[in-house]
Formats: sequence, structure tokens, C-alpha cells
Amino acid sequence: MIMSLIKTMAEDGPSIHVAPGGVFHLGGFVITNSILYGWIVSTIIIVLLSFVARKVTVKPKRGFTQFVEVGVDFISNLVVNAFEDKKVGRKYVPYFVTLFFFILLNTWFGLLPVVGEGFHSGESPLFRPFTGDLNSTFAMAIVTMVVVYVASVKESGGIRKYIRHFFVGSPKNPLYLVIGLLEMFTDLTRVVSLALRLFLNVAIGEMVIAVFSYLGQFAAPLTALPFTLIELGVGALQSYIFVILGIMYLAIAVNHSQAHDAEHADPEDLTEDDQPETIGASSTQSVRG
Amino acid sequence: MAIFADAINLTIVGKGLMVGLGFIGPSIGIGLIGGSYLKSVGRNPEAAKFFGQALVFVAIVELFGLLAFASTFIVK
Repeated sequence: MIMSLIKTMAEDGPSIHVAPGGVFHLGGFVITNSILYGWIVSTIIIVLLSFVARKVTVKPKRGFTQFVEVGVDFISNLVVNAFEDKKVGRKYVPYFVTLFFFILLNTWFGLLPVVGEGFHSGESPLFRPFTGDLNSTFAMAIVTMVVVYVASVKESGGIRKYIRHFFVGSPKNPLYLVIGLLEMFTDLTRVVSLALRLFLNVAIGEMVIAVFSYLGQFAAPLTALPFTLIELGVGALQSYIFVILGIMYLAIAVNHSQAHDAEHADPEDLTEDDQPETIGASSTQSVRG
Repeated sequence: MAIFADAINLTIVGKGLMVGLGFIGPSIGIGLIGGSYLKSVGRNPEAAKFFGQALVFVAIVELFGLLAFASTFIVK
């Protein structure tokens, strides 16, 4: 019996999709399953969070409201503490909080049983998690890096001053020229690494769940459950990492240019600016709990 | 050589080598990160607050293992 089971397994194998598949056409564009589910989840997020935002009071409430409050508080502390100037940090809180909840809820909604290989429309699954598609994570990474670049050009006061930071002293020194060009290229790879990290974690999680629910056959809910629970943790961790890396890139550029300004303005003041270029340690305490 | 090629599916062997060799580096790296985190906590319990930063570095290292896994889908 076992031999026949192995034989049937080897013959068809679990159905796995890495790329998103088209579901229907809309005005000449193919609507893929990931963008379809992305629209659905975005609607849910907008409705849910604007409902929660009305319920927030000074006295803490229980349930989902509390969860959102804790998340907003955690990310805004993270952003504000990363910058030396708290006023500058407060400007970027809304973008990063939005990004965190968008990625977190998209990844978690992607773990529902309706999403993935279970329900097919034609050859491809009907729904696919929005973050499990390279196009969408690339879009998020590009938007994040554009925000980072625009903000750092603005904070350092002009594009010439910003580009000068790459070349340690002056671009006329050939060694500094090479180092500067290399640094600029390394900056561009951040987009790719941000996008690939989120996409691969979510897509491989989907694959692992598909493989184990296939291996379980009739006991699929039991065998896939532990991996689904692991994916909950992975989703939370990856959204945290996407956001904290964005904050880190922004904070390094902004703090660096402010340190230079301080250097030119008042040499006595430099002793105050020896903060390490890392994210505020006090805010990471709440991760442990 | 043709007999070997018929008997063994070299694509699958290549994919297996790719995943296996590609996972060695990240696993060593994650072990080093976790080891040094625990060591620093053992020396100085105050350092336990850097757990979040340790996780960030785990995620950075993990990417290379995932890249090795993802490239098996490119091999035909």
C-alpha cells in the first residue's frame, strides 16, 4: 500500500506556482491572482483600520484595537528614536506605520485556507498572497527607496551636497572616486535585496505549506498546521525587517548629513553627535515579549 | 557516459547540490549570530535588549540561503 502511495506521489507531485497566474482580463490588462487578492486585502485594511481609528480612546481597549495601538506605538517609537532630531523623525512616522501594517496584514491574510493552491481558476490558483509576488515586493521596495532618496536629498540640502557624501573627501582623489562610485552602486542593490527578501520568504512559505499539505494527503490540516503557525511568525518578522531596514537607510543618510552640518556650523558641538548609526536600542525591548 | 545520463537525472543531482551547498553558509552564519548573542547575554544580561537587532541580522544572512533555493527553479 505504501509503495502505491509513493508511486502516486511521484507521478503528479504537489502543484507549486512561483509566478503569479492570470485570472481574468480587464481593459487589455491581465489581472493576476496576486493583484486581485491585493485589492481585496487593501479594501479590508482600509475599512478595518479606519473603523479602528474611530474607536481609539485614551483609556486602552481590548481586542483588535489594542493590537493596532501596540503596532502603531512600536513602529513610531522605532522611527522617532532612529533620528537624532526627533522632529525630523516624526515626519516619516506615517509612511513606515502604513508600510508595516500593509505588509503584515497582507502576509497574514495570505495564510487563509482560501488562498494558495487549494482553489484553482483555470490553471493557476484563484488567490495568491500579494507579498508572494516579485512584482509587488519590487514596487514596495522601489517606493521605499524613492522616499529614502528624496528625504535624504531634502535633509542634506540639495542634490550636490547629497552626492558629495559618497565621496569621502573630494571626488578629485582617484581612490575616493572609485570608493564613491562603488558606494553608489551598493546603494542601488538595496532595492533588489529588500524586494527579494520579502518575496522569497512569503513564496517559499507558501510552497512549504503546499508540499506538506500534499504529503499529508487526508491528514493535510494536521501536517500543514505547524508550518502555517511558523509562517505567522515569519510574516511578522519580515514586515518588521522591511520597515526597520527602510528606517535604517533613511536614518543613516539623514543623521550623517546633519553631523556634517553641525561640523561646519559649530565645531564645539561635535561631542553631542557621536551617536552610533543604529536604530534606537530602547525601542527594541518590546520585541522580546 | 550516455548510460549514466540515462540512469541518473543529473538535473535533480545539480539541484540537490545547489540547495545543499547554498544552505551551508547561511546556517553557519545564523549559528554564529545566535552564539555570539547568547555569549554576550551571558557576560552581560543587559545585552538581552539587542534581540531585535540580532533578528535583523539573521534575516539579512538568511536571504542568501533563500536565493540558493530560488535558483533551483531556474535550472531546467
